[in-house]
Amino acid sequence: MSDTENKPSELNEIDIDAIYRESEIQDVLDRLDAELIGLVPVKTRIREIAALLLIDKLRRQLDLTAGNPSMHMSFTGNPGTGKTTVAMRMADILHRLGYVRQGHLVAVTRDDLVGQYIGHTAPKTREVLKKAMGGVLFIDEAYYLYKPENERDYGAESIEILLQVMENQRDDLVVILAGYKDRMDKFFESNPGMSSRIAHHIDFPNYNPTELVQIAKLMLAESNYRMSDEAEDVFAQYVVKRMEMPNFANARSIRNALDRARLRQANRLFNSRGRMLTKADLMTIEADDFLKSRIFSDGVDDNSEDGE
Amino acid sequence: MDSNGSGQITDAAERYKSGVIPYKKMGYWDADYVPKETDVIALFRLTPQPGVDPEEAAAAVAGESSTATWTVVWTDRLTAAELYRAKAYRVDLVPNTGPGTNTEAQYFAYIAYDLDLFEEGSIANLTASIIGNVFGFKAVKALRLEDMRLPVAYLKTFQGPATGIIVERERLDKFGRPILGATVKPKLGLSGRNYGRVVYEALKGGLDFTKDDENINSQPFMHWRDRFLYSMEAVNRASATTGEVKGHYLNVTAGTMEAMYERAEFAKSLGSVIVMIDLVIGYTAIQSMAKWARDNSMILHLHRAGHGTYTRQKNHGINFRVISKWMRMAGVDHIHAGTIVGKLEGDPNMVRGFYDILRESHNDVNLERGIFFEQPWASLKKVMPVASGGIHAGQMHQLVHYLGEDVVLQFGGGTIGHPMGVQAGATANRVALEAMIMARNEGRDYLNEGPKILDDAAKTCAPLRAALDTWKDITFNYASTDTPDFVPTTTGSI
Amino acid sequence: MITNPTGRLTQGQFSFLPDLTDEQISAQIKWALAHDWAVSIEYTDDPHPRNTYWEMFGLPMFDLKDPAAILMEINEARKTFPNYYIRVMAFNSTRGVESPAMSFIVNRPANEPGLGLSRQEGQGREIRYGFHAYATDKPEGERY
Repeated sequence: MSDTENKPSELNEIDIDAIYRESEIQDVLDRLDAELIGLVPVKTRIREIAALLLIDKLRRQLDLTAGNPSMHMSFTGNPGTGKTTVAMRMADILHRLGYVRQGHLVAVTRDDLVGQYIGHTAPKTREVLKKAMGGVLFIDEAYYLYKPENERDYGAESIEILLQVMENQRDDLVVILAGYKDRMDKFFESNPGMSSRIAHHIDFPNYNPTELVQIAKLMLAESNYRMSDEAEDVFAQYVVKRMEMPNFANARSIRNALDRARLRQANRLFNSRGRMLTKADLMTIEADDFLKSRIFSDGVDDNSEDGE
Repeated sequence: MDSNGSGQITDAAERYKSGVIPYKKMGYWDADYVPKETDVIALFRLTPQPGVDPEEAAAAVAGESSTATWTVVWTDRLTAAELYRAKAYRVDLVPNTGPGTNTEAQYFAYIAYDLDLFEEGSIANLTASIIGNVFGFKAVKALRLEDMRLPVAYLKTFQGPATGIIVERERLDKFGRPILGATVKPKLGLSGRNYGRVVYEALKGGLDFTKDDENINSQPFMHWRDRFLYSMEAVNRASATTGEVKGHYLNVTAGTMEAMYERAEFAKSLGSVIVMIDLVIGYTAIQSMAKWARDNSMILHLHRAGHGTYTRQKNHGINFRVISKWMRMAGVDHIHAGTIVGKLEGDPNMVRGFYDILRESHNDVNLERGIFFEQPWASLKKVMPVASGGIHAGQMHQLVHYLGEDVVLQFGGGTIGHPMGVQAGATANRVALEAMIMARNEGRDYLNEGPKILDDAAKTCAPLRAALDTWKDITFNYASTDTPDFVPTTTGSI
Repeated sequence: MITNPTGRLTQGQFSFLPDLTDEQISAQIKWALAHDWAVSIEYTDDPHPRNTYWEMFGLPMFDLKDPAAILMEINEARKTFPNYYIRVMAFNSTRGVESPAMSFIVNRPANEPGLGLSRQEGQGREIRYGFHAYATDKPEGERY
């Protein structure tokens, strides 16, 4: 019997659809589409990465070895643009395509990695790395690891250990660095070692007002609320005003605004005692619930320092 | 005549009139009785004499195992008799017995006993009541104690196992696999010097324990001190050359407690980690030795010598699961409880039930395994079951599957009968065991792949190859006499 | 040289089998993690059978998901103590157990001189035995 008999020849056909279905990757992509409004460039990149991994899996089945591609990434963008959510889906995709074994996400910041005194940092960083093994390590505001103004900062030690593991244990974990675009760019400039190990740079754009209103509606629906038509109009005005204010954090600001609207709705319903409430009453956010915001009266965010 | 729904006479003058009245009417049958949490409950398999009403037979058993005698006594009225009377409260026909079957009718009779009837911490007292008189009782043709529910309040008055599985493992520094042992053979006739040779070879070859047999005490061919001295020389030599803690169950069974204590003290002075007793020394002696073992940091091994005389027949005697419960209370650390695949009696389900009773912190009802009562064990330590009798390395996958990890696998013939010698026999068993545990932990289907796993391990272990070849076809397929009464039925899904 | 059939110290679950590969070690650790057992690494240069407290190479590792994390530490331990005995243990914290559930050796000294047996003769042929690891004749850290 010849040695090659059981091996597929170059002409053998492979059913890419079957592998695609088997990985159930479409589920994740669909969920991404349904749960995340906008972010078209991000979704495109994720599709591309998924395609790369899928083809890589096929090639492996035919013994076309190429070494695992590096999958470390950087997610840049303003707060509230969906970086953590996408990272979680990314972990899921990497798991389904067999790139990581467990598919969990460990989210950390500088405080989890860097110690206060000599000999403290290495064990802390290793501890985090061990927890993330088999999954994805998400380091938010990664540039805080590097403080050039302080010569004795222990962050450099942490970066060194991270680099080592990112290089030598690619099969064991994927690192995603996240933060503001400009600061991240500076971080990579001063840490070329880190920059060269990041295979995918994904930029998360800000949401436009239409997208933010859609996001709001999605968030409300998830907790069994809805906006009346008038409320939606008012909220669209709110969003435009809010975007111009300081500390605007995209989806996060939207969530905060909705939380406050729910508070006002509750108050309004409570004060209307004496009439019978319907289920619809309990579900509906009215225009008034937004109009009471200080954005409309004082032109300041409800969360601004002087308080409501 | 006034009586309640269960037939008990309620009028005191009627009830205590001199003469003979049925037990049922004396108050030993109460169909409405709901057992208290503190009651001891006994479940008997009862075969009434022809023509005897099963409820009356159950009441008679309740009566004779608690306060009654054959006739009415007025002195009952000086006591809280109502409390002290055991109450038969339920009688079920045993499945597959009675009319339309080949077996005469048998009944499961449930009898509840108030806690006040028992002395704390005494198996002797408990058993004197429950099995004291009733087994020779004329009203029943045959009687078997099937199971007992021991209330937590009562369990707490017993020491329980001197050491327990967990602490035994910590003392031996052996984790995550069954313990391996072998009984020195031939059972009788070896001199002390030759006896120690077998111990040394077996332990050096890879076993953790060797064992005296039940009838090795202090006979003319080998007095006990000689056996102890030579065995401990062997144990310590083997420990030095392996770096492992090793042991030999030194059987201290003797004619008097004084002699047993003397032998146990000597075993301790030689540095033994374990001593051994036989079930035939009696419940009180067992409890005394358990206390001694706890006080002296020794593991206590029990050989169930003699149990077959009363545990084997299905219609009469005591089920071994009850003996298992009593021995856990009495405080032994090891007890022989069946192998499933070996040469001795033991239906797989029944044996697994015994193991559950010995090893779990809490037993749920499991009729298939013969466990009739929920039984919390009140943090009494766990007893290590010992599987011994006709087992060999080629069955390792089955042994691990059926018996689990907390068990002593005792390969006597399977070690000493090895064609390449005792040491090689021990090595074969150890390699087979380690390979099987490794495969299990790797998530392999080791029960089905067992023979392949053993073959692979034998590639780097000639003794294992020889063991597999020697005993490849040895199985003991006889029908068990003690089988479950309840089998799982598949019910159609709706 | 130790004279038992394996020619080496036989403590632990798998000492009678060929040395475990990293892959085999990972499979065992996976079993431990699947049971939610904390895994720890310990090392020693004293193989006495009752040397219970080997040195801890860090604390037991809790809340880990993947064997790679522990293998990384094992390799670190091997690099630091190439000539020591190193064992992997798994701890089961369930009520009624609260004790090690696994223990196996993953590193050994290149040469294992083993232990000697000392005997102190007493009355009536009674003997007190003692074990002595030859390696412990040398000071700590210079034994293998």
